[in-house]
Amino acid sequence: MMMRRTFRAMGTEVEVLLDAPVGERAERALDRAESEFERFEQIMSRFRDDSELSRLNRDGRIEGASPDLVRVVKLALEAREHTDGRFDPTVHDAVVAAGYDRTFADVPAESPGPPPSPALCGGAVHIDWSTIELGQGTRLDLGGIGKGYAVDRVAELLALAGPCLVNAGGDLAVRGGAWPVGVTDEITLELTRGGIATSGRDRRHWRVADTEMHHLIDPSTGRPADGDLVSVTVVADSAANAEVLAKAAFLGAVVDVPHVLVTADGRTVLAGGLA
Amino acid sequence: MTDSSHRLYAVVIAVVVFFVSWAAVAAKPWATAKPDPRLAALAQREQRLRADAKLVQQVVDQRLAAYQVALKTRKAQIATAQARSLQVAQSTAAPAVRVVNLPPLTITRTS
Repeated sequence: MMMRRTFRAMGTEVEVLLDAPVGERAERALDRAESEFERFEQIMSRFRDDSELSRLNRDGRIEGASPDLVRVVKLALEAREHTDGRFDPTVHDAVVAAGYDRTFADVPAESPGPPPSPALCGGAVHIDWSTIELGQGTRLDLGGIGKGYAVDRVAELLALAGPCLVNAGGDLAVRGGAWPVGVTDEITLELTRGGIATSGRDRRHWRVADTEMHHLIDPSTGRPADGDLVSVTVVADSAANAEVLAKAAFLGAVVDVPHVLVTADGRTVLAGGLA
Repeated sequence: MTDSSHRLYAVVIAVVVFFVSWAAVAAKPWATAKPDPRLAALAQREQRLRADAKLVQQVVDQRLAAYQVALKTRKAQIATAQARSLQVAQSTAAPAVRVVNLPPLTITRTS
């Protein structure tokens, strides 16, 4: 029996599908999934003043950070290295400078300006056990990878109750079963393990001083990325890795995993072994 | 020898005999030596501590043996779990995906 639950968390709609007998066990698993998302949001949200991430960004240092925060920051730093800086968790100030300084629902669709200035990325981050220290003027945005990480962890939890799919606004992971996932109106991918993530400028965009802005920052310029891609969908071994690779591919990296590119002129390209 | 010499010898011998007798009497060889109660208490305490130490050592040995057995069992369990998770990781490392012509259960979109 397919059970479905939707709720709002981490600034997006979360959808959880669980293929399990209806009953208390499945309900408990879904409750646990929901509370886990709330827990991850309390750790990694940059929009909650009392989150661990906000404290780290405010103080430049946090001692006794939760294992999840340490893990995500480590993942993000590894991703920065593996993608030659295309994925970078230190884009916080650039995202804020571009106008994404509050939850997206509250970002005005159009504001008069002045045009935002680029912000520097690539700042230093040091981790020593449960202590994280940021370089001078460095702040972290774990939005994408944090969501991917949360999706992976919740999928692992839910898998104890049965085959499942967890989708947090496009970052999704499956455990067990076969799940048809719509990528575009025409393309559906059936995923039996791993994760999918989509990065693009077709959503979460706004205008400042007549300039189109979106949330995908190119760390090399400190501005929203230019290019002829509208979105990139990547399939990887986990949602967190898919999120990293989707962002890197959007910024021009060549990725060797299955992916779908949608270009500004409306073409859809299947690559990385998809046919 | 003169009488006076004899007397002198007699006096000296008498004095020597007196002091030897006095020393012998002062030594009270007839009295049995009483043991010092503090020494006795210390000896008792030492014996008790030795007995306690022996008991504690027995308990420690038993617990160490039990711990070593439990540790061995736990290590075996961990090795089995690691082997299993490695198998799972190897079997799930690569994503499995294909294009299908089915109605989607959900969609992915820009996150």
